[in-house]
Amino acid sequence: MNDGTKRARGARTGSVGRTFVLVLFGLLVLLPVLVVVLATFKPMNELFVNPLGWPKTFTLDNYKEMIMEQSIGKYFMNSVIVTVSTIFSILFFSTMLAYAIYRFGGWRGLTLYGLFAAGMMVPPQVNMIPIYELVSDMKLTNTRIGLIAVSIAVFMPVAVFILSGFLKSLPKEMIEAASMDGCGEWQAYFRIVLPLSMSSISASAIFLSVMVWNDLLFPLLFINSNDKKTLPLALLQFQGEFMTNFPMIFAGVILASAPIVLAYLFLQRYFVEGAIAGSVKG
Amino acid sequence: MKKWLNISAFVLILALLLAGCGKSGSSEGGGASNAAPSGEAGAKASEDSGKKEKISFVHWRGEDVKVFDELIAEFTKQNPNIEVEQNVLPSEQYLASAQAKLIDGTAGDVFASFPGAQFETFVKANLYVDLTGADFVSNYTDNLIQAGQKDGKQYALPYQLVYNQPIYNKKIFEKLNLTPPKDWDGFLALCETLKKNGYIPIAFPGADIGPGQFINSMMMNNNTDEDIWNKVETGQAKLTDEWFVKTLSQIKELNDKGYFQPDSLGTNKDIAGSLFSQEKAAMLATGSYMMASNKQQNPNLEQGLLAPITVPADQAVFEGIHTTTFMLGVNAHSKKQDAAKKFVAFLSQKENAEKYANETGQLVTVKDVQYNTPELAESAKWTDKHTRFQPRYLITVAAIEKAVTSAVQNVIAGADPAKAAADAQKVVDQNLKK
Amino acid sequence: MKPGKSLYLFVLPGLLIYLVFFVYPTLQGLVLSFSRWDGVSEKTWIGLDNYRRMLTGDDIFGKAFTNNLKFMLSVVVFQTFLSLTLAILLFKNTRANIFFRSLYFFPTILSSVAVAFIWGFMYNPNVGVINNVLGKAGLNVLAHNWLGDPKIAIYSIAFAQIWAHTGQMIVVFVAGLQAIPHDLYEAAHLDGAGRWQAFRNVTWPLVAPAATIVAAYTTIQSFKAFDLIFALTGGGPVYSTEILSTYIYHTAFQGSEFGYAAAQSMGFMVIIAVITFGQFKLLRGNRVY
Repeated sequence: MNDGTKRARGARTGSVGRTFVLVLFGLLVLLPVLVVVLATFKPMNELFVNPLGWPKTFTLDNYKEMIMEQSIGKYFMNSVIVTVSTIFSILFFSTMLAYAIYRFGGWRGLTLYGLFAAGMMVPPQVNMIPIYELVSDMKLTNTRIGLIAVSIAVFMPVAVFILSGFLKSLPKEMIEAASMDGCGEWQAYFRIVLPLSMSSISASAIFLSVMVWNDLLFPLLFINSNDKKTLPLALLQFQGEFMTNFPMIFAGVILASAPIVLAYLFLQRYFVEGAIAGSVKG
Repeated sequence: MKKWLNISAFVLILALLLAGCGKSGSSEGGGASNAAPSGEAGAKASEDSGKKEKISFVHWRGEDVKVFDELIAEFTKQNPNIEVEQNVLPSEQYLASAQAKLIDGTAGDVFASFPGAQFETFVKANLYVDLTGADFVSNYTDNLIQAGQKDGKQYALPYQLVYNQPIYNKKIFEKLNLTPPKDWDGFLALCETLKKNGYIPIAFPGADIGPGQFINSMMMNNNTDEDIWNKVETGQAKLTDEWFVKTLSQIKELNDKGYFQPDSLGTNKDIAGSLFSQEKAAMLATGSYMMASNKQQNPNLEQGLLAPITVPADQAVFEGIHTTTFMLGVNAHSKKQDAAKKFVAFLSQKENAEKYANETGQLVTVKDVQYNTPELAESAKWTDKHTRFQPRYLITVAAIEKAVTSAVQNVIAGADPAKAAADAQKVVDQNLKK
Repeated sequence: MKPGKSLYLFVLPGLLIYLVFFVYPTLQGLVLSFSRWDGVSEKTWIGLDNYRRMLTGDDIFGKAFTNNLKFMLSVVVFQTFLSLTLAILLFKNTRANIFFRSLYFFPTILSSVAVAFIWGFMYNPNVGVINNVLGKAGLNVLAHNWLGDPKIAIYSIAFAQIWAHTGQMIVVFVAGLQAIPHDLYEAAHLDGAGRWQAFRNVTWPLVAPAATIVAAYTTIQSFKAFDLIFALTGGGPVYSTEILSTYIYHTAFQGSEFGYAAAQSMGFMVIIAVITFGQFKLLRGNRVY
């Protein structure tokens, strides 16, 4: 009884403190975003005079221009195509790679793992020019395929790293049990390991999506024509030499992010369920 | 689980298909971000049995895109077989991103370049088609296209003429009875008067272009040797020499007396520009290229150009700083050089250069152009004065240029001028031109 | 069960793409590091000259390294601590928690160009938000030259980096926390363990693999950080925000010294490797390999 009330009281004060912290950080996250959203409704001249307040001249011109003149929808589609293709390819290859690393063990597993883990530490500046020359020789510059191929290669190490780490934490007995049922490698992979790895695959997918979506370097290097530009590249394009039209750029930022946020809000249930399913079944 | 996999496989295949479609679609109509040419021109073009060529025009001036679009539409009317797609790369990364693309010929059949180090790099890379003797070259004022020449050959044609010296607010000066001073004491007194009357004397974009622009007028009379930067780069002269330390201490003096706005090192050119257009600052330490955008923000502005004279009036040799930039060139790796040359020729025509100048607010190097805005008329007055080609562009080693601009930032951040010069000289020593 | 031969098939496609588009160019980069090349003319072999210069004749390299350390340490420490704390507060899948998690995650979605635009605006001395708000609250004395003061600029950027990426790390920690079986907490509670003890004995050991991943990833990410710094300050003022990745980029693309930049990248890689391994040792008991 005593124990119960003490716990309850502790829980209450704890919960006040907890709420305070959560709300505080929430504000910290929101305020810059809010300021930016407000800015998108102001004409450029007003922004410099009234950066914080409610728009005195409320205008939708920035959005109109972004959508109609600047065809932001096209850049958005390019980002989607590149990101989705890259992520799915990476997940496809890296789950198989992580599984192989896990199953090989020994020096073979270690070599493979090391090869990819080391790749994570390679800064893009080292290989970006040689990669460019390679892609150029293959006549793949200014193509989405070229960009996707390079993105796959460059971002794969991260996925292999995360997935291998996760697999290492699985008990070896599982595979033993599978082999006793007469499973080959493929079946063990599909029916046992893959379902169990869902939470870590989700986590990798989130990491990778963000990285590929936001990548500026490789699109900058490879993509020349406007119809293939991805969003970050297009946003950069709006920076005139001596004029940065903040409200317009911010409008572009909002338009670029809104669909992703929505997607995340919907898919998040997916990821959460995946995570729960992974742990309960395990 | 199976469902997940099936969905994944389906999406993967779909994505690859889309990407594949993207690749094959790339050869068809591009340039979609530009305003579409009028229906007429489009129809005419499709009727034409001739080969359609698309050339790419690479440059860094995002704010000129609309004007170029209009010029391009006109060009396409006159040359229905040629389509022009603009490709704007931000100026800070221009050298970096442009070079790779230009070399393999995938972009930039016509491209713009900066004079000085970038020009030298591109010449060495054999990127330019030799334009010597092309008939459109004679459209340009002779002494203004030298920056695009090397070893007697005309590789690129500078299109813009800019003055890299501070802009001032004429109305504020009039109100306070001020005129552009002829010596250093005069300049200090001017700033003091402005400050006492509640204005920021100089809006200084210390975070980006301020140091690199302002150093020019500050040093032009402290060291009149046109070869000085080459000497610094080869070790024959040093930044610790009196002229540079003096320049730094004069800049520091301006800062310490409160003539720059607070946190100038955190201010970029747009913010500095807005301080000026809001008439909170009386001078803007950038160049003539910003006059048009300032006017856009405040149509009531009346602007003029001046340059600080850092020596006594009788020792002053130069009155200001000019640069000829935005140099048009034809890519030697391009497979459509004829079309590219036609476009350059088109831009070199008086009417087109005139339209460009008046709508973008930039002075141009093409002959006999009539300017019809007050800002341009104001800047055009300077063509008769004795100005010096921007010294900073004569620094060819990037690390040394960075050391110089960092030294300016350093003294504004509080460092002692002699020490800042010494620190910069250390970097120079490690990066001497070989 | 012995590993089957079909495992090689598992490895093949991914490995192939990786080798062709990544490993091979990296090796070319290694060769480049022993040469001098301006991107245009012939490549000239100069042996170890680039390395000698990097280690003894380049003050800016040393400065970039120091800045990198400052940046990385502040980001790793605060981001890991913050994301773990928030993950602990939010790991139950209540509606409120899911809402908060989505909210915190939002900045991660933004491209770094966008984050740079936003924080450039926030830190702006004249029209920016922070100094404005401080001013209105009468806390003018706290106003700083966030990006203009060489002494604090790097930390201001670190703050933006943390703002942008904490949400992402929270997700990882939540995944890790949710993998901890509930029964363990029940058992601990039955044994009379309070909240803190439960954390120390149940949560911490089991969330450690996630923590390792978070710390390692944040370290590497913040060490490599390029886009944000490049877009916010470009490395200035007075080299105070120049980190190794931006310095290498400047050497290659403004200085046209690709050979030297390649050597610097190699040095950069070695440094990252050393730091990462050092960190693994620190979070012992959770070595992944």
